[in-house]
Amino acid sequence: MHRPMTTETFKLGYNDIHDDVIRSIVKTGPKYYIALATAGGTTLLCFFFPWFYQLYYGIGAAGMNHPGVWGTYLASFIFWIGLSHSGTLLSCVLHLTNSSWRKAMYRSAEAMTLFSLVVAATYVMVHVGRPWFIHWAVPYPNQMELWPNFRSPLMFDVMAIATYITGSTIFIYMGSIPDFAAVRDRTSGWRNTMYTLLSLGWRGTDKEWHRLHWAYTFLAVLIIPLAVSVHSIVSWDFAMSIVPSLHQTIFAPYFVVGAIYSGTAGIVTVMFVLRKSMGFEQYITKLHFDNLGKLLLVLSLIWTYINGVELFTAWYSGTSEEYEALNYKLFGYYSWLYWEMIIFCAVLPMLMFSTRFRTSFVPMLILSIAINIGMYTERFLIIATSLSRQYLPDAWGTYVPSPVEISIMLGSFALFTTLFLVFVKIFPSVSMYEVKETMATPKMEPAAPAAGSPA
Amino acid sequence: MSLFSRFMDGWRKYRKPGYYDEFDYHWTMTIDLDKCTGCEACVTACQAENNIPIVGEEEIAKGREMQWIRVERYWEGEYPNAKLSFIPMMCQHCDAAPCETVCPVGATYHNQDGLNTQIYNRCIGTRACAVYCPYEVRYFNYYDHEWDSPLEQQLNPEVTVRGKGVMEKCTFCIQRIREAKDVAKDDDRRRVQDGDVQPACVQSCPSKALVFGDRKDTESQVYQSMNDPRNYRVLDELNTDSSVFYLKKVDA
Amino acid sequence: MPNIDRREFLKLVGAGGVSVGAGFMLREANKDPREYLIPHVLAPEDSSSGLSTWYNSVCSMCPAGCGISVRTYEGRAKKIEGNPSHPVSQGRLCSLGQAGLQALYNPDRLTAPMRRTGAGDSASFEEITWEQGLKQVGDRLDLLRAARRGNRVAFLTEGVRGHLAQLFESFMRQLGSPRLLHYDFDHPHTLYAANQQFFGENHLPYYDLQNTRLLLSFGADYLNNWISPVHHSLGFGESRHGRPDIRGRFVQIEPRMSMSGAAADEWIAAKPGTEGILALGLAHHIVAEGNYSGADRGAWVTALADYTPAAVAEQTGVPPTTITRLADSFVDTAPSLAIGGGAAGNHSNGVDTLVAVNVLNYLVGNIGQEGGLVFNPAPAGPALQQHRATYSTMLELAEAARQGEIDVLIINGTNPVFTLPPTAEFAQALAQIPLVVSLSSFLDETAALADVILPSHTYLESWGDDFPEPGVGFSVGAVSQPVVSPLYNTRGTGDIILDLARRMGSAEVMPWNSMEEFLKYGWRRIYQRGDPETLAQGFDAFWTSVLKAGAWGETSSGNTAFTLNPDVIAGIGVAPPEFSGSEEDYPFILHPYLSPNLHDGRGANLPWMQELPDPMTSVVYGSWVEINPETAEQMGLTEGDLVDIQSPHGQLQVPVYIYPAIMPNVVAMPIGQGHREYGRYAKDRGVNPIEILSPQIEPITGNLATSATRVSVTATGKRVKLVKTGGTSRDLGRDIVQTTGGLGVEVTSAADNSIPITEVTT
Ligand SMILES: Nc1nc2c(c(=O)[nH]1)N[C@H]1C(S)=C(S)[C@@H](COP(=O)(O)OP(=O)(O)OC[C@H]3O[C@@H](n4cnc5c(=O)[nH]c(N)nc54)[C@H](O)[C@@H]3O)O[C@H]1N2
Ligand code: SF4
Ligand code: SF4
Ligand code: SF4
Ligand code: SF4
Ligand code: SF4
Repeated sequence: MHRPMTTETFKLGYNDIHDDVIRSIVKTGPKYYIALATAGGTTLLCFFFPWFYQLYYGIGAAGMNHPGVWGTYLASFIFWIGLSHSGTLLSCVLHLTNSSWRKAMYRSAEAMTLFSLVVAATYVMVHVGRPWFIHWAVPYPNQMELWPNFRSPLMFDVMAIATYITGSTIFIYMGSIPDFAAVRDRTSGWRNTMYTLLSLGWRGTDKEWHRLHWAYTFLAVLIIPLAVSVHSIVSWDFAMSIVPSLHQTIFAPYFVVGAIYSGTAGIVTVMFVLRKSMGFEQYITKLHFDNLGKLLLVLSLIWTYINGVELFTAWYSGTSEEYEALNYKLFGYYSWLYWEMIIFCAVLPMLMFSTRFRTSFVPMLILSIAINIGMYTERFLIIATSLSRQYLPDAWGTYVPSPVEISIMLGSFALFTTLFLVFVKIFPSVSMYEVKETMATPKMEPAAPAAGSPA
Repeated sequence: MSLFSRFMDGWRKYRKPGYYDEFDYHWTMTIDLDKCTGCEACVTACQAENNIPIVGEEEIAKGREMQWIRVERYWEGEYPNAKLSFIPMMCQHCDAAPCETVCPVGATYHNQDGLNTQIYNRCIGTRACAVYCPYEVRYFNYYDHEWDSPLEQQLNPEVTVRGKGVMEKCTFCIQRIREAKDVAKDDDRRRVQDGDVQPACVQSCPSKALVFGDRKDTESQVYQSMNDPRNYRVLDELNTDSSVFYLKKVDA
Repeated sequence: MPNIDRREFLKLVGAGGVSVGAGFMLREANKDPREYLIPHVLAPEDSSSGLSTWYNSVCSMCPAGCGISVRTYEGRAKKIEGNPSHPVSQGRLCSLGQAGLQALYNPDRLTAPMRRTGAGDSASFEEITWEQGLKQVGDRLDLLRAARRGNRVAFLTEGVRGHLAQLFESFMRQLGSPRLLHYDFDHPHTLYAANQQFFGENHLPYYDLQNTRLLLSFGADYLNNWISPVHHSLGFGESRHGRPDIRGRFVQIEPRMSMSGAAADEWIAAKPGTEGILALGLAHHIVAEGNYSGADRGAWVTALADYTPAAVAEQTGVPPTTITRLADSFVDTAPSLAIGGGAAGNHSNGVDTLVAVNVLNYLVGNIGQEGGLVFNPAPAGPALQQHRATYSTMLELAEAARQGEIDVLIINGTNPVFTLPPTAEFAQALAQIPLVVSLSSFLDETAALADVILPSHTYLESWGDDFPEPGVGFSVGAVSQPVVSPLYNTRGTGDIILDLARRMGSAEVMPWNSMEEFLKYGWRRIYQRGDPETLAQGFDAFWTSVLKAGAWGETSSGNTAFTLNPDVIAGIGVAPPEFSGSEEDYPFILHPYLSPNLHDGRGANLPWMQELPDPMTSVVYGSWVEINPETAEQMGLTEGDLVDIQSPHGQLQVPVYIYPAIMPNVVAMPIGQGHREYGRYAKDRGVNPIEILSPQIEPITGNLATSATRVSVTATGKRVKLVKTGGTSRDLGRDIVQTTGGLGVEVTSAADNSIPITEVTT
């Protein structure tokens, strides 16, 4: 499925790449500032203000209740963790399989991972009742001789996410060092200082390249199981309980597949936006959408299959507990959301069997957004419906999100966007050196000042 | 004993059924459903004893009631053969408590007396324990609940007032157990004797449906009661190994 | 110093870190597996917190008179518990009794005397001193007494017993006024009248639930509100599983399942008001089967001739087989006991119904028997049944007020503006009285209409005593002592009355300076009844021992021999009940019942009681109307639908609750909410069904037949969310409440369990 890119794809010179990408960093028009101000302002207004309100008055500002003690915060948390997959994970897989089409897009995909994780980690703080004591969930020696509970899946969760954030930060940073050096060499003033520091003295020697490639591959190998384990562990928060319709052995693969699914859809969305807004039409092409579309289609089929397995298992158990939980999910208060999810995540993606659909930008954008809405719904339903119908019917109840929760949920997208906007001004959002690797070696043009440019 | 075998020994014993039998007391409650009238005196007693806040109508409408013991009701049949049964439900102090394993900070754990304890000042409010508890007897402080003055003067000085973001639930009135232990110690007795300690709910129950005591004392009333042929445990199939035994209703 | 370069240094640091970490983990892993959180979290072994003091006293939250033991700590009451040595409650206590604390600490208590200023809508209260208030009232009383017009003073109190009642009596005697009224909404007048008729005693016998083997309850919600719920619950538990190999059986006959109905083994719905007819049907069968062989058998055969099972089945809707089965088991299962009350006694035929219940006990020989109905000796303290005010008495008082015959009305504790239907026009009558004095601790609906409020202490701050009625087979008394010093500028009711007595020049006859002094004076007489041993210790020691124990008892017991006045038999018979409103216009019979939590509304200002789920429905903080599921389906009603409940005398709007155990043509509503005053927790919450009751009267007692109103139910199309704590009250085959000894229903398919659930959202 991967064929190396040729000059057919890129009728460009090395310098053009540098020009394009570095321009995107250095040249900042009013549009960018408007976008940043909007995103930042929305973050403040929709995310931080409601959160502070909640911190002040208590988590009652959200809609959670008894028995619905978990709600959209946790759903959002899983959603963002899910979205983080396919960024770094996909990049690693494609790197190891030498899929060169990855090279134009992996940097921003990895950034997506990182920022999704940051948003997810923030959600942990939003979710817990006393975030000011959140450090108690981290093992550190203390005078109280108190440790976290190593049996707790929540505790594994903290460890897994911390590891994942560390891993993906190093991965994206390491991969960017040559590009930082490239930018360093073309900038002056404070930017030059900053990129001098960021590039860690990269000179582009053979030894450096050799080490980079070695370390990069090593990390890629390490991150793949990590990414898989992260969402498995997130799923254990639920699967290790004995709540009907939560304690399912299928949950780990279900979550991992769902995560990659929504992550890949997220990449399509981000690709589309980058392509349009940063003028990367030449780097991000139909080919990328086609390939991502195929991947999405496969993931959709697996997801649908697992979803079916989940329903079947509940029904086949024959117990009143599983049966009522299932009944509530399919036909209860939130059933309309369930069927929305099925349409968005299982039915509509079938359109991608058509090559024409996969290679059309706008339909793919719409579908990718629909998939993520569906996947958000999936996470919400897992929590909201399962907790509503547990063992003792007299304790049944319904959870409805509050305005504060909904605002924070929407605000988290603004937070993500803000982080991403800052990212595109600091990181070269397309990996210059790797794109160059895919190009046919151009004839040297004497006039071009190639000083310091690696190749 | 080598380091390794000591480790393995501890590992094997750890939280296996019967582990808690090694300790001094094993507090247990029995609830005779054939005696319970659904009067909810136990509910008010628990609220009074344990400083459980009043949350108000709006909060209850949102489903945020706080009473640590609730009386569930189950109807059976239709008019004119409808029947109603009450079942008091509070923390079952499971010896294999699902809520304990999930707490990331160990704010809820099992003590040597077989109690599932809740350490308010350690709790970070993840609410995971409430999800994991199949009996749904854990209640969360969604706010700092204020008492209209001077109602705060009724607060029990022996019991913490919980703040926002903290999980709480029935403690088997641990403050009374501790007091009984202190008294027993001061009286130069080695053990707390049957009848020395009664949780607030048991103490008030007008039909004496509730019995509390130490099941390691085979002379105790609770030991006799839990060995009644009518005994069963709610959701026993989940293997929570709970310390609350119910006595079946008699259909006569 | 070896020469270490940077790399080696880093390696060593790394290796060191890893080994320290590993060693640490190993140490942790090798610890005793017991968790060592405790020593750090629990207080040190030797620490002792402040000490508590317990005071025994008497609960005044309802007329049952349970013994309480109040835990105080640093001068503040912390918890009310049952007094184990009190024979009525035996250490147990109901919810309302425990919530007495919130009467004491209620944020809406009246904190000082007040006087009304202005008139009509602009009226408000201004704070005055006790001297001002007492002088205003005392001067008026003095004037009236001096002018021999003391009979223009009326005294209206909640039902009180003991020496406070005696104090009121002396006080009114000094004024020469017969208008002393003890008014409680739920006082069982018909029960007293029925006992008077049948037994010739105007006080209640002891119902020995504890030792009975079969209880037939005709409408008496004995576990909830009827007479002495805590004591009955004790008896219930004891009867069920207190005796080896004997389990008491309980049968409840009522149109809407009460808490006692839920606890019963069998619940039988007889048409409202026909409970007495059913009882006579049972009696007929007992006599006809030859199970009664007394000398007066012939008279019974004649008296009960019309009550054949077929005829009774026709009238009551209870199948003849059930009637004969119940009658047979009532005979076979000795000792058995029949009790009656609640709605059954609140119809136009209430007294006859309760007499009919007594007939059952008579025929099977339950009277004077252990496990049956035992006569109490006359209470040791003052017992003043003659001042018990019925609805008709209250109407007379209102009429007298309208006629300008009342100059001063003193009101203590009771809240007739709330508990009398508007047709009594009691509020309007109050407006005609020049000086209305309220001794209430709260600004309830009645106090709000007073001219002067002299707020009294709550019972936890004042002296008093109580002689529970009914006793427990022997004489019981208990002294109520202040457990905390008064929170506010209030005074004890007895002290206020003594002060007023002084001011009207009655100090010679009522010389006591305080209620405490008067109590001691009264108890000296009880002391003098004692045996030589008691007398030898002296009064002070006796008094201290009574205060300490919180209860006093005497071993004498009531009559066991009982002979029926033969004239009674001929008069036995229960007429069909009469209802207000035609069946066409008002197809439903309204069944108002005392809320288990709020009692007759007095509990509505206690936040614990407001937040305590109603035992049967789990509703909190509100009102609802209970409708049979099929009726509701026919009318297209679901939970939360707002309906108009219209009676010939008023209309209320209230949400529907679908109630599985209520007759199709009956709708039930709890009494207790719907306050217009009475503090923040009670005010403007729910509706008060008393407001739409028709003024239908039980002719023998003159009491309001509260269960005799017909209503119509019309959907308004509006919905509200009924605030309740419960989810779905069906166990869906999960076997949560397990039963034994009967036929269980096997669940074969989980799919069959699924029931339609209405999700209510606003
Ligand atoms: N709300 C509130 N909190 C406060 C303060 C306040 O004013 N208000 N003040 C603060 C200040 S200034 C202080 S110093 C702390 C005091 O706080 P604590 O040190 O907790 O003081 P205490 O409660 O006086 O005493 C502690 C315990 O010591 C026990 N004790 C008495 N004598 C002995 C003895 O000989 N041996 C042993 N082993 N135990 C004994 C007592 O029974 C008591 O249980 O509180 C602080 N906390
Ligand atoms: S009943 Fe629930 S809260 Fe109590 S110990 Fe068991 S699992 Fe934990
Ligand atoms: S809510 Fe508190 S006790 Fe429960 S799991 Fe979280 S930290 Fe532990
Ligand atoms: S044992 Fe104590 S804490 Fe538990 S329900 Fe009873 S009164 Fe409440
Ligand atoms: S107090 Fe006793 S009888 Fe009343 S509801 Fe509680 S357990 Fe049942
Ligand atoms: S039954 Fe009446 S007297 Fe007894 S505790 Fe309850 S409210 Fe008080």
